[in-house]
Amino acid sequence: MNIKKLLLRNETALIIAIVVLSLIIGIKSPEFFTLANLFDIFRSSFVQLIFALGVLIVIISGGIDISFPAVGIFAGYTAVVLMQRFEWNPENLLLPIALAIIIGTILGAINSIAIATFGIPTLIATLGTSGIFRGLMLTFIGSSFISDIPVALDKFATADLLKIQPEEGTLARLHVLIIPVAILTILVSLLLTRTMFGRSVYALGGGVEATRRLGISVKRTQAKIYMLVGGLSGLAGILYVSLQRKANPYDLAGSELDIIAAVVLGGASIMGGYGTVFGTVLGVLLISLIKGNLILLGVSGSWQRAAVGALLLIGITVQALNESKKAKNRRVSTSDEAGE
Amino acid sequence: MNERFSRFNTGLLADRKITQLMIFTALTFFFFSYASRDIFFSSSNFISMAYQIPEIAILSIALMLSMLTGGIDLSIVSISNAAALVASWVMTTKMDESENLATSWIIIACVLGTIVGVLAGAINSILVAQLNVTPILATLATMTLFNGIAIGVTNGESVSGLPEQFMRVGNGTFFGIPTPFVLMIFIAIAVGFLINRTTLGLKIFLVGTNRKAAQYSVMGDRKVIAWVYLISGLLSSLAGLIIASRTSAASPDFGSSYILLAIVIVVLGGVNPNGGFGTVTGVILATVVLQMVASGFNALRFSQFLYLAAQGGVLIFVMILNVVLENRRTNKSIAKSLRS
Repeated sequence: MNIKKLLLRNETALIIAIVVLSLIIGIKSPEFFTLANLFDIFRSSFVQLIFALGVLIVIISGGIDISFPAVGIFAGYTAVVLMQRFEWNPENLLLPIALAIIIGTILGAINSIAIATFGIPTLIATLGTSGIFRGLMLTFIGSSFISDIPVALDKFATADLLKIQPEEGTLARLHVLIIPVAILTILVSLLLTRTMFGRSVYALGGGVEATRRLGISVKRTQAKIYMLVGGLSGLAGILYVSLQRKANPYDLAGSELDIIAAVVLGGASIMGGYGTVFGTVLGVLLISLIKGNLILLGVSGSWQRAAVGALLLIGITVQALNESKKAKNRRVSTSDEAGE
Repeated sequence: MNERFSRFNTGLLADRKITQLMIFTALTFFFFSYASRDIFFSSSNFISMAYQIPEIAILSIALMLSMLTGGIDLSIVSISNAAALVASWVMTTKMDESENLATSWIIIACVLGTIVGVLAGAINSILVAQLNVTPILATLATMTLFNGIAIGVTNGESVSGLPEQFMRVGNGTFFGIPTPFVLMIFIAIAVGFLINRTTLGLKIFLVGTNRKAAQYSVMGDRKVIAWVYLISGLLSSLAGLIIASRTSAASPDFGSSYILLAIVIVVLGGVNPNGGFGTVTGVILATVVLQMVASGFNALRFSQFLYLAAQGGVLIFVMILNVVLENRRTNKSIAKSLRS
């Protein structure tokens, strides 16, 4: 019984999907199974994962945030601009990161005002703010590409935790970010499962009215959620700038879909109330795997987006079918109208 | 006499949003006409506006239909691009060296384009109505998928050099009025008739007002929702054909900002994002306002990014205004009932 339950879990399905996909790609082109490729997949997942953790929290709470790429690039780009304008010590790595997190949190607070104070539907509110953030950044902060980012950020792009040179083939580099990102992932997981705030996020996703009657302040929880997501997005934004070794204000536009897709594939319910950090990590890895290795399968890179779309479509269809099966069972056992 | 007056009064009150919008339209018009007397207030500007309004107006009407049922269709822009690409591909492959094409082939191409739109809409219908997937998620997936397929097939390049006869539709006039504008009026009247004068229209409002009540009244709420996404796909493909005919090109990335714009227009037009209320007139008026703002910004040489910020700003402002006015109205009616 327990094994059956374990097999039915979304995470198990994802692991199977990742393994099967890796085998297929590996059989077609053996260079897939190299350490270098594995580390590359990790490297391309760091920023995605930090964004995804933020999105996960929002989705669990029953909302949706599509302003996070705008917040991320606003924070990352503005931090670099500020560093240059005020000629702050370019050797300092923590200063731009702290700046970006603060800027991200402020932008998140603006989302909080729209959503928690005025009760605007989350999709519409964040769609609006994402236009505002992007527009204001490009009009007032700058619309040109900065290639000479502060030295510390630039150096950080090549800071490797370990380098392994196999007997033949390319050098495998594991970026040092793997440690902070792993710690952050565990922290978010603890935050969601072990703190009062985390439990109120789940409660909010389960039902707003029920949460209110539990004595949890809905508005305060929502405000905290969107500020936290803003901060996470700011961090992801500055790390993105650092890893790319350039600050391009036009970047990250349109990346919201891949990340929401990863979180949803990871099993988070868009209706709220359900989602795990582990599932999200697997979802992000699956998307990175597909996007990065489609070429090894002999498929042109221009099909990337279609592959993500198809994957998302399959994921949500399976989830919806499971959901309706569950609803039917519930109805039979309690003869209660399950409703929506 | 008194009774007639009160009926007149409620009629006006029911259309309060339209009245507000008309005032808003007039104010925008006078503001930009005054600020830019020579460029904005010129017949050439109004003519170019009349060519630009229809495509976004039709997309917004399509979006309005799904919002009336309390859902949302994010895939409208990718459907319109897919339809335009299919039609353009048929026309360019059937064209001879002298760039002439029989009218019958143009009609066939357009019909194929609309069939693509209806099929895409049918996929949304199956997902939302049959499988019970949340509309945001379902259409997010299909939006990524359709757009991805379009990019994959075309390699991200646009199809251009469409036949002259086809371009005449998008750039010509009909009794002195730009043809796209005439088509828009025709579509607006058709949709207005659909939602106000047919049973399906009444059911759309019922489903949007209270889905559960609609379910209990056994009026086939799933069928209503399926129809809505089907019609939305059809309208989007028509918008795509008009865009292709006006710009003489079809591209997988055209109008990626249109989805934000369409949501801004629909919300500004007084459609309730939770479903149950909205008018075609409101949507058309809102399109005119937004187009005037775009042209006005252009005439005053503001940056295009500022227009993006303005779109987001208008969206948030209108939503906040709605919330504040709604609260005041509720408070007033509570106070009134307490007094009596």
